[in-house]
Amino acid sequence: MTTSAQSVAVPARARTATATATVRRKQGFQHGGWFIAPFLVLFALFVVWPLLRGVWLSFTDANISGEGASFVGLDNYREALNDQAMWDALGHSAYFTLLVVPCITLLAFLLAMLAHHIERGKWLWRLCFFAPFLLPSTVAANMWQWLFTQGIGLFNETFGLDTPWLTDKSYAMLAIVITTLWWTVGFSFLLYLAALQGIPDHLYEAAKLDGANAWHRMVHITLPMLRNITGLVIALQILASLQLFDQAVVMMDFGPGPELSTRSFVQYTLEQGFTSYRVGYASAMSIIFFVIIAAVALGRMALLRTREEGTR
Amino acid sequence: MGRPDLNRRQLLTAAGGLAVAGSFGFAALGTGADALASGADTRVRYWNLFSGGDGANMITMLDAFRKEHPDIAVKDSTLQWGNPFYTKLAMAAAGNRAPELGVMHMGRVTGFSPGRLLDPWDVDLLAKYGVREQDFNPALWKRGVIDGKLYALPLDIHVQLCFYRKDVLKKAGLLGDDGRMIPVGSTAEWFDVLKKAKAVQKKGLQTIGLWTNDQNFQWWFFVAFYTQLGGEWFNAENTEVLFAPDKATQVLEFLRQHVTDGYVIPGAPTGEQFINGAPFTWEGNWSVPVFSGAKLDYGATPLPPVFGKQATHAESHAFVLPHQAGRGGATNDGAHQLAAYVVQHAQQWAAGGHIPAYTPTLSTAAYKKLTPQNEYVSAMDHQATEPKVWFAGSTGVLAQDLGPVVVSSTMGSAKPDKVAQTMKSHLTKLLASKNPMDGRTAAQGGAVA
Amino acid sequence: MSATQVRLKTRKPWTPSQIVLTLIGAAVSIVFVAPIAAALFTSLKSEAEAAEIPPHWVPKVWTTQAWKALWETGNVSNWFVNSLVVSVCVTTIVLVVSALAGYGFARTEFRGKSLLMGVVMSGLMISPAVLGVPLFTTVQQMGMVDTYWGMILPQCAPAAMVYILYKFFQGIPRELEEAAFIDGAGRWRVFFTIVVPLARPSLAAVGIFTFIASWNNFLWPYMVTNNPDLMTMPNGIATVMNSYGIQWAQLMAGGLMAGLPLIVVFVFFQRQIVAGVAHTGLAGQ
Repeated sequence: MTTSAQSVAVPARARTATATATVRRKQGFQHGGWFIAPFLVLFALFVVWPLLRGVWLSFTDANISGEGASFVGLDNYREALNDQAMWDALGHSAYFTLLVVPCITLLAFLLAMLAHHIERGKWLWRLCFFAPFLLPSTVAANMWQWLFTQGIGLFNETFGLDTPWLTDKSYAMLAIVITTLWWTVGFSFLLYLAALQGIPDHLYEAAKLDGANAWHRMVHITLPMLRNITGLVIALQILASLQLFDQAVVMMDFGPGPELSTRSFVQYTLEQGFTSYRVGYASAMSIIFFVIIAAVALGRMALLRTREEGTR
Repeated sequence: MGRPDLNRRQLLTAAGGLAVAGSFGFAALGTGADALASGADTRVRYWNLFSGGDGANMITMLDAFRKEHPDIAVKDSTLQWGNPFYTKLAMAAAGNRAPELGVMHMGRVTGFSPGRLLDPWDVDLLAKYGVREQDFNPALWKRGVIDGKLYALPLDIHVQLCFYRKDVLKKAGLLGDDGRMIPVGSTAEWFDVLKKAKAVQKKGLQTIGLWTNDQNFQWWFFVAFYTQLGGEWFNAENTEVLFAPDKATQVLEFLRQHVTDGYVIPGAPTGEQFINGAPFTWEGNWSVPVFSGAKLDYGATPLPPVFGKQATHAESHAFVLPHQAGRGGATNDGAHQLAAYVVQHAQQWAAGGHIPAYTPTLSTAAYKKLTPQNEYVSAMDHQATEPKVWFAGSTGVLAQDLGPVVVSSTMGSAKPDKVAQTMKSHLTKLLASKNPMDGRTAAQGGAVA
Repeated sequence: MSATQVRLKTRKPWTPSQIVLTLIGAAVSIVFVAPIAAALFTSLKSEAEAAEIPPHWVPKVWTTQAWKALWETGNVSNWFVNSLVVSVCVTTIVLVVSALAGYGFARTEFRGKSLLMGVVMSGLMISPAVLGVPLFTTVQQMGMVDTYWGMILPQCAPAAMVYILYKFFQGIPRELEEAAFIDGAGRWRVFFTIVVPLARPSLAAVGIFTFIASWNNFLWPYMVTNNPDLMTMPNGIATVMNSYGIQWAQLMAGGLMAGLPLIVVFVFFQRQIVAGVAHTGLAGQ
């Protein structure tokens, strides 16, 4: 079951093996390297170099002016690991991720099931659920900031509440989570929808002949067939959520939220770099963050690999 | 499998074509804020942070200057307010791409490595264009002087004010014969005023807007009342913390009481509430055009002296000369001339609610007619300002560190006396820390004049 | 295949389960559209009405003052053009560069290719959010702060897009190219006359996705521009407009102006965009 799901959802991968099977003698760079060269130049300038530079800067006390930096060894890292504010900020980003990822995965799945099974007006449902994703983050955040504002906001008014969404530390992060769900669920929804449409009909028809009811078909066909896409949705959401920044700063008027409760890791790093001018320290935090993100990404790859080996 | 090698000539042609197309088609993409204007005799580039109404007022003044001095081409760039502005100015000065003239908040000047990122003003040159020290409030002028040199030429001061609605206060019997709010001299009197106003105000609104959850405003209010109590920050050498937790506790408890007594709806938008009928709001004077635009019958006084002594938080926009390796000559002269002109013609500026720093302006009939500006002009004489250290100043490190702590007390998630201790420990840490721009602590930052 | 099947079935009767599902769908859709509708209504109120307590949905007095003010203050039209310039440039460069690279990785052999591939893939983990400060200082050193180039170029090295196209090019049967080579066509000609036309759907997907991402990008333009004349829509609205104070009607009007173009485009090109987003997303597996 799992193998067939993979080959449906990832046709490309199945073909990879056969394509590269043709062994070819390796040649010098000029035999094709030129195709890659333009990309490599940009990649080297704006990805590799900043990373190396970040590593170097993290060992210095560089400031924003770009001059007069001196080597300070591991001081920045030592300070960062003892910086409660940094851990708090990391905690906020993690807390946000923890709230958003399960909600968005479940919601995207339910919306996709809904849109997949309603027979009329498919384009309309797709449009409604996906439209928010087309808004810039700052616009979505501004809209919800206004909806959530006490007194003049329509959210409390509509639901008969009087909740200080944006100004109380126990609600602020929730407000950001709700905004994020509304804004980004459309993307995962589309992925689920595409995956649902990719499940071959004959599987269901065969199951029907075997007398399986709707619930059985869902548990034994749909869910297993969606396993890979769920893994993908979760992974993409974790990586995106950990990098929380836009919605939070806009909704909190570029501040750290009530009693610093929504200051994310990215925001704290940028504050260190651009408010306190401590480029060296901010770089050390960037590197720490890079390691965290890389760990998550590599973790997923390892997970995928063991699963693939398990099914072989 | 005869696969031809990449044809190098084709490739070079393609690359060359791209490069040519690029340099023509995209040449404009490289231009930015620093784009050179051509054909001017003396070009003065001027960076400021004024948007909205302030921006429009500034442009009016610049246009007037251009008309009187056609030989000087003023190229003004308005940048986004706040930290990005300082970042960019710092980078430009460090990279020797600085404009001839800039604007800063006075409190940030000390942290801006005067001498390294800023050049001092030529006081004689300023005098030639009509600006002299005696035309300014002495305390204000001194804030711009570091190591005996003038680094910041004040344009205005902007203060935190107590805005009140005359229609509501009249009903509550809180207006004096002059049509202004009755004076308040103690916390008890102040809360009595709030009580009376609450009794007659529109229901469902708060009584006073306090920005209880805003770290900047809460910090500014704290500075004001802490100064009213005569509180100090550091000793003169910046080696010792003189912060008094008991006084701070008093201030924090005072701010907190507005919430516990139910005069504030935490988080309610203060300006909107005021426009809808809330009797009071504490705001910066930049709200004057907003409230006047809404055609409210309102007044504005400095924050009430509830601890006996007048003092209200004040910051100041000031002209600075960002560091240029080759500063001097006609452009430098032009920068002096422009700054001196704007400082002296700041009547327009007062429409934005700011108090002009050039005192002769204040005694003109035109200024005396401005309401409510004429009601709070006295704030000039009792400014509460942050200490003169590198980490102070508008949205600086100090405000960023202590603001949230003050908020936590006002919002009730931490006890005032504990918060006061936290503030002291933050101050101790900051005093020991080094300015990332020059690697010196506040104490090493030079004997402040 | 499944599309034709769906079309054949469209004349299905309203079964009870379909009625229930459709009602649920409608209710959920209303929830999703409500914030946008609220923004639209608010943009058609006067500033005073927009800030009224308590609030209401539909304007009592309809006015276009916010939209007019938006045009008169001038900045917004600048931002719109900037957004367009940046997004179009980014999309063009990304398409060209990643199509070439994807093809290069898929179809040519040279020493160190797999190592390079690994390095490029590790780039998937790097974004301005992760490496913001060092990336900024790099761009600063190049003297590109507050320039279009500074906004555009750092968005032009997306490892993900190379990977997607690499996967696609691997799927193209080699025989198609071989035949052309035998006819004496060069590598570049094969690429432009055979491979690129075949790849059109994938290129469209990458292009659409890149355009959306770049149009909506906030963090990087926010870091690299200060000059309001150079800002893009998301950045200008979030930073400059917010600093004016209480002007909700204008803020909503500005937000809609930034968001609506993509939504309108979506209505017309729904099929392609859905396929594009799903395609780029799914390729991440």
